[in-house]
Amino acid sequence: MSTATFTQEGSSWALPRFMTAEHPFPWLAPITVMLLVFGIYPLAYSVWLSFHKRNVVSRQLDFAGVHQWARAFSDTRMWHSLETTLIYTFVALAVQLALGILIALLLDTDRKGYGILRALMTLPLVVPPAVTGMMFLLMQDGSFGVLSFYLYALDLISPAQPILTQPVTALLAILLADIWQWTPFMVLIILAGLRALPKEPFEAAAIDGANGIQTFLRLTLPMLRKVIAVAVLIRGVDLFRIYDYVYIITAGGPGTATETLSFYAGRIYFTGDFPYAATLSLIVLVVLIAVSNVFVRLFKVRF
Amino acid sequence: MEPSRVQMITRDVLAVLVVAIFMFPIAWWALSSVKPYSAIFDRSGPVYTGFTPTPDNYRVTLLGVSRVDIGMEQGGEAAGVIKGGASSYDSRQSLLDSAIIAVGSTALTLLLATLAAYCLSRMQFSGQQSFLFWILSQRFMPPIAIVIPVVFMFRDLGLRDTYTGLILVHSLINLPLAVLLLKSFFDDVPREVDEAALIDGATRWQTFRRVVVPMVKGGIAATAVLCFIFSWTEFLLSLFLTTSIRTVPVKISTFVTSTATEWGYITALGTSAIIPSFIFILLVQRHLVRGLTLGSLKE
Repeated sequence: MSTATFTQEGSSWALPRFMTAEHPFPWLAPITVMLLVFGIYPLAYSVWLSFHKRNVVSRQLDFAGVHQWARAFSDTRMWHSLETTLIYTFVALAVQLALGILIALLLDTDRKGYGILRALMTLPLVVPPAVTGMMFLLMQDGSFGVLSFYLYALDLISPAQPILTQPVTALLAILLADIWQWTPFMVLIILAGLRALPKEPFEAAAIDGANGIQTFLRLTLPMLRKVIAVAVLIRGVDLFRIYDYVYIITAGGPGTATETLSFYAGRIYFTGDFPYAATLSLIVLVVLIAVSNVFVRLFKVRF
Repeated sequence: MEPSRVQMITRDVLAVLVVAIFMFPIAWWALSSVKPYSAIFDRSGPVYTGFTPTPDNYRVTLLGVSRVDIGMEQGGEAAGVIKGGASSYDSRQSLLDSAIIAVGSTALTLLLATLAAYCLSRMQFSGQQSFLFWILSQRFMPPIAIVIPVVFMFRDLGLRDTYTGLILVHSLINLPLAVLLLKSFFDDVPREVDEAALIDGATRWQTFRRVVVPMVKGGIAATAVLCFIFSWTEFLLSLFLTTSIRTVPVKISTFVTSTATEWGYITALGTSAIIPSFIFILLVQRHLVRGLTLGSLKE
């Protein structure tokens, strides 16, 4: 940084060094205050809550040690929702990544008209997730849903057991909404990665007689490593804290079959048991921080 | 080796087909919004063209026409239509609420993030990487973990169910994206630009406001669009933090009632909510990938 301009010309009264525009302080202070007050304080409050217990009689919060945490670890419903969340995250991630790569390869050409196709592919991204949930709810309705109708016609599902009434198909129904909305995310990012690749290695491979699949596996995929890592990280985090689609499409049902961890925490919140809800939401956070940290280190993702 | 004609046609057909599949839910949704009640709930099979389009769903949700009045217009047939759900389907207030919150939080986010991003791009200080990582880690915070304590905090501060409250939390959610994205745009401007301005006698603040910010106008616009869309589409925080203010996504979810799910009104309001986002996103196509990856990938 140039320090030659450090003397503040024009200011008659001297500000302390850290208040001047040459110092990071005034630039970063507003955002830091904002993040501390609305990001860190709530987090600290959550942690505080998780060591307390509702006293039904006095309507106060009593200190309860690790009661809530012990309760969470012995709560089979918590483990089930964690399992559902993990299955959901991995299935969605795998499908979105595979489809994303395939569709990106398909659309990666300068031929006429493909620009419009690529632009259309961005549209699902900006549909409010709550509306996406509704879209799929409408299509999956057991008696008049268009998707249900075709699945019945193809004999894949029996009208006696509509999609949203069976544990496995209900989870698939939520996954379908997620895959529809977020595969375009992968497509766009991978397309950008493909466009940025240097041409020479591909020309060399073609001269050496490599076929399409060899070129893809040995050249394209390794060169897209960084791009894929960023996409998987961002998507993985969003998937793990999934709430909206579950709330709208199945509300965790049938029973608790499609309850994810975030959704379970929300459900407990609405029963008024705030300390336990806070504990469950902290579990979401801890798992996320741990996994994303390992991931960032492993794949050397930089922002 | 040039691909053959057959290969090229196969590719075109496949590409159009794939995109068509992705467009289907939106098309079906928009189509449902102009269907009369009977066509939406037809149990004999999907209705594509066999109905008379009607603006009634939009008249109820966007113009605030009472559905009883619409029922009267249609005469006896509609008697069966008006049943259940005493909740109001007039959504004009919700659209206004959503717009106020999205514009407010976008403005606040940009104000805070532009300052921070310029600093992080231009100055070196100890702990810079940790500061960046701290901001990034806010992006990974699950909304459910923030919202429970924020409910209590807002109750104490009198911010529950206020525009200010939602503007603050939506800004909080958008800040990491905005800072990282704007930093990547500032990084594109060579440092020599700043140095030249400083040597010419401009203060650091003048350099920022009069020289560098105008150079990243496009990037700031793209960031604004993404912030607006995230606030416009946000669901969980709005659901927990408000009762009388209802943003559009929350309002739509209230149309699902135990007596009847009003798909006509849901699809009409949903379509209206999607259109502004579509227009905005098409305007910033060029910066979209950078935005989605928090500035780490440039197109």
